[in-house]
Order: sequence, then C-alpha cells, then structure tokens
Amino acid sequence: MNPERVIDAHVGVVGAGPGGMVAGAMLANAGVSVVVLDEGHRPGGQIFRQLPEGAANRGQIAEPPSHHQGQQLTGVFAGAGVAVRNGATVWDAKPGRLWFEQCGESWLLRCERIVLAPGAYDRCIPFPGWTLPGVLTAGALQVMVRGFGVVPGRRALVVGSGPLLLPTVTSLLSAGVKVVAALEASSRLGAVKALPGVIGNRSRLREAAWYARKLLAAGVRLRWGWTVFACEGDGRVQRAVIGKVGRDGRPRRDTARTIEVDVVGAGFGLVPSVELGLRLGCGSRFDAARGGHCLTVDAEQRTSVAGVFAAGEICGIGGAEVAMAEGQVAAAAILRDLRGTPVPDALRRRAAAERRASDAMLRAFAPLPGLHELAQPDTIVCRCEDVPLQRARQAAALHGSSLRAIKVGCRAGMGPCQARICGPSLQALATGRPVAMDVPVVQVPVKPVCSATIVSAPPG
Amino acid sequence: MSGQGEARRIAGLGQRSGVAFTFDGEVIEARAGDTIAMALWVAGRQVLRASSRDGAPRSVFCNMGICYECLVVVDGATVRACTTVVHDGMRVERGGRP
Repeated sequence: MNPERVIDAHVGVVGAGPGGMVAGAMLANAGVSVVVLDEGHRPGGQIFRQLPEGAANRGQIAEPPSHHQGQQLTGVFAGAGVAVRNGATVWDAKPGRLWFEQCGESWLLRCERIVLAPGAYDRCIPFPGWTLPGVLTAGALQVMVRGFGVVPGRRALVVGSGPLLLPTVTSLLSAGVKVVAALEASSRLGAVKALPGVIGNRSRLREAAWYARKLLAAGVRLRWGWTVFACEGDGRVQRAVIGKVGRDGRPRRDTARTIEVDVVGAGFGLVPSVELGLRLGCGSRFDAARGGHCLTVDAEQRTSVAGVFAAGEICGIGGAEVAMAEGQVAAAAILRDLRGTPVPDALRRRAAAERRASDAMLRAFAPLPGLHELAQPDTIVCRCEDVPLQRARQAAALHGSSLRAIKVGCRAGMGPCQARICGPSLQALATGRPVAMDVPVVQVPVKPVCSATIVSAPPG
Repeated sequence: MSGQGEARRIAGLGQRSGVAFTFDGEVIEARAGDTIAMALWVAGRQVLRASSRDGAPRSVFCNMGICYECLVVVDGATVRACTTVVHDGMRVERGGRP
C-alpha cells in the first residue's frame, strides 16, 4: 500500500507505444529504475495495439509485416520487467514530476528524467455531417476492430489522407465489413514523386506491398484525389456525398455523388500529442508536413529542458519505425548521463535514416488547404462547444486571428477536448487563410480529470 | 447476448466471461475487458450523449480518449466511455453536455 500515492523512479516514461516501450525496456534491462505511464489498458499504443485475447495468432485480423515487430517488442517489454501503470492519465508535469490519475486516484511520479512518447491522434477536418453517430476517426475504427474485435458496421467509407488509411481498410476487411470506398485526398502524382525517398527503405516497401495485395484481393481501389463532401442520415450516418478534389484539396462540387454507408472512418493525417512537452516548457516548432507543432530535440532526443527527452510522434509524425529508433537513442542518452557510455553512432544514424524515410513519405501527403472549404457556414467546427463555422469566422473578424482570440470570441476549443480535435484546423477555418497555427494553449489539467484528483494531488 | 450483438463481434475470438451493466436502466451484456463504448456499440446503443446546444445525438468519435465526445455518467462521475472498462453491476447513464 502507498497511502501517500507517491512513487519514485529514476526515469518516468509517458506512453507505452513503440517509442516508450523501447526506451523503457532498454533502461530497465540496463538496471535503471523506470516507470511507464500509459493511458491504454495494455502496452502497445495505437499502432502496436495488442489484438483482443483469443484473436492473436489465429489470423482473423490481418496484420501487416511490421506488426510482428510490434508483438516482438511487447514481448521484450514484458520480459524487461518494467513497472507499467496502465489506464494512467498524466494531467500535469514539471521537470522531475509527473502527476497522473489512475482508477480515480491521484498519483505523483517523482523521477529525475522524463521521456515523452505520448504519440499522436487523427487530424480532423470538419465537413457537413461529421458529428453524426457512425462517423468516426480512422483510428477509432482501428481500435474497434483490432483492440476489441468489434465489427463497426456493414458498409464503410474510409476517407482522409496519409498512410494510415490502408490499415484502416484492411482492419475493416478483416472484420467482414464491405469497404464501399477508400478515398485519399492527395494526388497520385505526389505519391509517385515521394517514391525515391522511400525506395531504399526495405521494411516500408514490404509494408506497402502487403497492403497493395490485401486491397487487390478484396477488390478495393484506393481513389486518389477524392474525399467526402458530406455525411447525411436520420440520427446516424446513412449516406455519404463524395467527390473529387483539386490538387490543393478544393472540392470539385460538380463531381459529387452519393453512396450508401453505415460507418465512416475519416483521418486526414495525424497530429503530434505535444501538450505535455509544452507544459514542461520544451521548445517547439511548426512543421506542417510533420503534422503541426512538434518538440525540437537534438541528436540525442534531448528537448530544450534539462532532463526531458522526447521520442516518436511528439517530435513530428514519423511512424513506429521512427519512434522505436528515437526511443533507443533517448534511452542511450540517459545511460550516457548516468554512466558516461557514449550514445552508439549506429543508433543515431538509424534514427536519422528512419526520419528521412518518413519525411519523404509524408511529402506525398502534405496538408491540403482546400479541404477547409468542405465545411459550410452551419457546419460544427468545435464539437465540444457546438460552435458552427460562421461563429468562428465572426470571432476571428471581431477579436483577431490568433488562436487565443478565436477561442475567447466563440468558445471554440474551450471544451473538454481542449482543442485537440478542432485546434489544428480552427485558425485556418476561422480566418479563411491557410496560416501556420499558433502554439496550442496548454491549460492544467492537460487532460480533464476529476476535480478531486487535482485537489488531492500529492504536492511535488 | 442478443443475436444482433453477436453479429457485431468478429467470429472466433474465443470465450471470455460475460459481465452485465445497466445503461439508463436497461441491462446490457458485455464481454469482460470491453470498454463502455464498445459494449454499447455491440449492443446497438450508439448514442451516448446529446450535444450541448441543439441536443443532437453524439456517439463514439476518436475511441482513444482524445475527443471527449463519448462522455457518460458512472455512479455520478463523468467518464469517457471509450477508456472506461465495464464491470459487473456498473450503472451507466447517458451524458449531457460535456
């Protein structure tokens, strides 16, 4: 028992996805005391999400080649005997301190060093009808199928942009869902141009070939330069209006056609989960291709704040390979601090090479500003506070074009998601200009928790 | 579990013990380890709350604890249906405004 609800470790890791698991296992294997805090109920994170019990190794849910790596890693992580706190929501941090809520209890982890590996979430672009039940993020459908063995619906539309549309499609196919349409907003030409940067990366090519085979076998064609214009239905989604977009993502209304669907997975790339880093005071920069605001790190994954390291998506969207490579470098850098052993060059070179490959791939899926024309004046942009586009525009016109002015002017981004969903598009939508987004405003609690958790938080 | 509910599970997942909870007073059967959101989805109860202004139905959206669309009330406390695991005898009510 621990009536004080304070735990001590040398290193606190936030997130048990690929980056956090690699860093945690490597440190634990080197004899460093480490505690991993993860919001999920089992290690793996989103990308290496463990299949529901009973489904593993039976082949019902199709797994791309990279997921064998995920299984291997979760095995290594379990074998390293790392202390993991599952279902833990970190709601505040300062250097050496992580406050979290677990099972309704308020805890403090005291740790000299912090590794931030919180991952990313789907980028949402509002379109008419995106609040209807049955319209979810692409990631949500993945969780449903791969995490819980739940069949999302009968007829699905998968839409958005980026490499994660493919696993969404294959997961749905595994669940016996008919994928009526799979729409990638970017142009095929962009993908062809990105090829040279990826061609030397064998595991990425193998992955792409696996998806191509799966889609071909199921008769699903990924349509480039298409997107969703609207979802419609009585109380839930029943139809989707789809059509072509221009090279900048602008909808070509004359191409609109209606399809019948009962579930929609939409994901326009990913947004780095950067809030804890900002709360800790880490330096950041805006990198549109890597998903928005990212922490800046040096070649040893050190942020601008002493004792705080970052790995994976929080340094810019890069995928599991990047996260694992950077998690290793972060752990090696901590071992260097503690024992003076240098960070092996090979680790640094691998992390840099993975970044180059993922940056090259992301160039094919650069954000398309024209997609912001999908929302109509009465389309909700902030789902928490029910703010329609026209009110966000009025707010920008009246109060100014900064993120803070728009939020104060119309309450968009002031609900419980704390602008995680609307924030990445809010400024562009409200001002009508594809501006670089202001640094997100981080409030404490960084994620909503019970007021009792805050009141009873162990003092740090 | 109802036939309709079974159709919303991938076949051959293997047996797991069942749990029962209530949603606005109605008894819902679930699989141990399900979140509230997934148990209700399988049971065909997609609407988890009414939106704050016009009362429009809202459902699971991100399914990973980010968007707070799926807020429901458990024993007086507002929780995310997508991150809260069901347990036997749990009393869940539809959420209001977030």
